Amino acid sequence: MTQAYPPVLKLTRISRSFGKVKAVNNVSLQIDRGEVIGLTGENGAGKSTLLKILAGIERPDEGTMEINGKVANFRSPNDAFKAGVGVVHQEQSLFTNLSVAENIEQQNQSRMGLERFGFQNWKRINADAAAVLKKIGVNLDPKARVGDLSFVDRQMVEIARAVCVEPGGDGTPLIILDEPTAVLEQAEVEVLEREILKLKKFASVIFVSHRLDEVLRICDRVLVMRHGVLTSDRSTEGVTKDELFKAMVDDAPTVSTHARSSRPIELKPAIEVQGLTMKGKFRDISFAAYPGRITALVGTNGSGRGRIMRALFGAEEFDGGTIEVAGKPVHNWSIRKAVAAGLAYVPAERKVEGMIGGYSGTRNIALVHPGEAARGQILRPGKMAETAQSWFDRLDVNPNNIKQPLDQFSGGNQQKVVLAKWLNSSDLKVLMLDHPLRGLDVGVSQAVNAEIRKACDHGTAVILIPDTIEEALEMADEIIVLRDGQLSARHDLSVASDLAIKEIVAEMV
Amino acid sequence: MRNLSIKNLSGPTGILAALVVLIVLFSLLNPRFASVENLQNVLFQVSVPLIIVVGTSLVIQMGSIDLSVEGVMGAAGMAWILLSPNTRLEGDIGVWAWFVALGLGLVLGLITGAIYAKLKVPSFVVSLGTWYVGLGIAILLYGNALLPSLTSEALARWPTQLTLGLPNCFWLAAVILAAGVFVSHYTKFGRGLMAIGNNEPIARSNGMPVDRYKIAAFAIAGTLCGLAGILATMQLGSGSPDIGFGQLFVVIPAAVIGGTALSGGEGGVIRSAIGVFLLIILNNGLVLAGVDPDYQSGVFGMILLIAVIAVAWPQRGRLKVAK
Repeated sequence: MTQAYPPVLKLTRISRSFGKVKAVNNVSLQIDRGEVIGLTGENGAGKSTLLKILAGIERPDEGTMEINGKVANFRSPNDAFKAGVGVVHQEQSLFTNLSVAENIEQQNQSRMGLERFGFQNWKRINADAAAVLKKIGVNLDPKARVGDLSFVDRQMVEIARAVCVEPGGDGTPLIILDEPTAVLEQAEVEVLEREILKLKKFASVIFVSHRLDEVLRICDRVLVMRHGVLTSDRSTEGVTKDELFKAMVDDAPTVSTHARSSRPIELKPAIEVQGLTMKGKFRDISFAAYPGRITALVGTNGSGRGRIMRALFGAEEFDGGTIEVAGKPVHNWSIRKAVAAGLAYVPAERKVEGMIGGYSGTRNIALVHPGEAARGQILRPGKMAETAQSWFDRLDVNPNNIKQPLDQFSGGNQQKVVLAKWLNSSDLKVLMLDHPLRGLDVGVSQAVNAEIRKACDHGTAVILIPDTIEEALEMADEIIVLRDGQLSARHDLSVASDLAIKEIVAEMV
Repeated sequence: MRNLSIKNLSGPTGILAALVVLIVLFSLLNPRFASVENLQNVLFQVSVPLIIVVGTSLVIQMGSIDLSVEGVMGAAGMAWILLSPNTRLEGDIGVWAWFVALGLGLVLGLITGAIYAKLKVPSFVVSLGTWYVGLGIAILLYGNALLPSLTSEALARWPTQLTLGLPNCFWLAAVILAAGVFVSHYTKFGRGLMAIGNNEPIARSNGMPVDRYKIAAFAIAGTLCGLAGILATMQLGSGSPDIGFGQLFVVIPAAVIGGTALSGGEGGVIRSAIGVFLLIILNNGLVLAGVDPDYQSGVFGMILLIAVIAVAWPQRGRLKVAK
C-alpha cells in the first residue's frame, strides 16, 4: 500500500525556537497513507508547537515539510487546509447556534451560481454536509442545531469539518486530532475510536493524547516527544506502557496505586446527604464524606454525578432530601453558605468557572479565603503577594510569576492556582473536585494528586469525580457508582482491595 | 433533536399565545377593539416600529446594539419634509427627497458601524453618540421657523390609504419585513451575523469578513431608521425633530420579548416583529379598555416587565449571568 503513494507527511529536521527554548528540536518523521499515529508527551514537550507547524499556525525555523510528496510552506491555516491538513483543535470551535451543515460549510466555501453573490444555497449546503457525514459514517441530521448535540456528536461535526480538506488529485487527507478524548467519557471514547478506524480508510490520522491506553489501543504507531525532541517512534505492537512512560519523562516515577490504610469510621461525617433528589436529574442519593477520606463519584456523563456535586456546593437547586454539614442540616443552601461552612469546589470547566483569567495568580488566590491578606473589605497587597508566592513555590507553578494574568499559564499550572485558592483556607472541611486532572500531563497530575492527599491527611473530606476509573482506584477510599441519576453501588476500598475496573463499568451502564 | 423542537417552538408559540390572549381579553373589555377600523389603526401604528425592528434585530443578532434610532429618524424625517412640498414653500426636490433622507440614515449608520467595527468602541456608546448627532442635525434643519407641514395631499394621505383592505404604510412594513427575513436566512451575510453573535473569534478565524458585516448591519439599520422617519413624518403630516420619540422603547423590548437575546446569536426578524405587534396591541388595548391616561405609562411599563421576566424565566439558573 505504501509503495503506490508518496508519504502523506514527511518531516525532515524540523526545528522551531521561542527565544532560547527549542520547542521543536530537529524532528524527522514520516506518515504513510492510512496510518493512525499516536503522539504523546508531557505538557510542554513540544506537541502543540509541532501541531501548529502542521496546521500552518507556526512556521518552522529550519527543516522541510512534505505533504503528499509536495514541499509545503504554509503561511496560514488556510494553506494547510488546501494542502489537505485538517485539524480538530482541543477546544471546540463550532457555532452552537447554527446547524450542523452550516458549521461544516464554514470550511468548505463554494462559489457557484447565485452563491457567488452571497446567497445561501441551503439545498447544496445540506446535501454537501450529508455527503461528508456519510463519508465518515456519522449519523447526524445536517439540519440539527449544533448546540443541541452531545459533546461527542459535536466532536464528529469537528471531524467532518476537518475531513473537508482539499488534498488535490489522489492525495490523502491528514487529519489531526488534538486531545480529542480529554473531556470524553468512556462510552464516548469508544465512539471516537470507531470513528478513527473509519477515517483510516481514506485518510491518515495523528491522534494526540495523554492517555497511553488509548494510544496503544487505537494507533498503529506511537511517537513520544520530550523537551522538543522525538524520543520514541515505535509500532504499537509489542511496546509497553512502561517503555513509553520512560520516553516521556526524565526519570520514570513509580505509579503509586491506592496505598492508604483503612481509617477509623467512628469519625463524624464532614458532609452527609440523605435522599437528595432533583427531578429528572438525580434521585434518592445518600452518602457521607468523612474527614481524611477520599470519596469518588463515578458514572457516565449523564449519571448526575456533576450535578450532585454542584448541589452539595449550593450551585444547583434540588427539590428533595437533606444535606448535613458537620452534623447540622442546612437550609436555603447557597454557594455563599457553602464557602462559609468550609466547602470548596474545583469545577470541571476550569477556564469558565474556576478562575478569573485576566486576574493575576495573586488576586485569584486571594479570591475566596484571603486569610491574613484582608481585613474586612481592605486588602493588604503585601500579604496577598506573600501568600501567593508561597503557594507558587509549594506547587512549583511555572512560570513562577505571581503577577502574570492566569489565562497566560498552561492548563496544568492554572489548575495548581485554582487548587491553591481553595487550599488557602485554614479551615477546609470538604474539598470537592470535578475532573481535577482534565487535560493535565503526568507530572502535573501527580503534583495535583499529592496536594489532594495532603489536604486529606490534614483532615479534609475529599469528594472526587475522576476522569477514569483507574484514577478513582488510585485515589479513593470509597467509590460510589452512579447510574442514570441513582446510586447503583458503593465500594469501600479499605475493605475490598481487588476491585476490578470491569465490575465498576458494569455497574455504571 | 428532542431539544431542538422544543426550543424552536417555545419562543414564537409562547409569544403568539400571549398575543392571542391579549386580543381576546381586549375584545371582551371593549367590543370596539376587534372592529375593522381599530385593526386598521393598529396596523397603522405598527408600521413604523416594524420597519425599525428589522434593522434592530439584525444588529442585535450579532451581539451589538443600535440606540441611535430616534435621532436618525428625526434627521431623516426632517430632511425629507424640507425637501418635499411643505409649508415653508421652498426646497421641494420631489422624489430626490427620498434619496437624500435615506442617504442620511445610511451615512449615520455607516458612521456608527465604522466606529464600532474599526475603532472597537462598544456599539452601545457609539450609537448613543450618533443618536444625538442625528438629533442635532434635525434641530439645525428645524431652525427657528415653524414646524413644516406637508402640503401634498397625495403624500399625506398615502400611508392611510387602503390597498386590498390594508393601509399602505403596513404594506411597506411588510415588504421590509419580508426582505429582512430573506436577508437573515438566505444570504451569507445574514448567517454571518448569527455566527458573529455566537462566537466572533471563531467567525474571524474562519475568514469571515467580520468588520464589513458589522458595518453593513449598522448601515442597514440606519437606512431603515431613515425610512421609518420618513413614514412617521408622512403619518403625522408634519415634520418634527422628535418624530421618533418613544420608538426605541418599543423596538428593543420587542426584540427581547421575541426571544432575540441581547448577547447575540439567537432570535430573528419575525420573532421581533411579533414582539412589536404585542407591544402596540397592548398599548392600543389599554387605551380602548379605558385605562386612565395618567396610569397608561406605568401600566405599560409594568406589563413590559412581566413580559420580559416571562421570556427570561426558562433560562434562569443559579450561575446564569445576565448583563
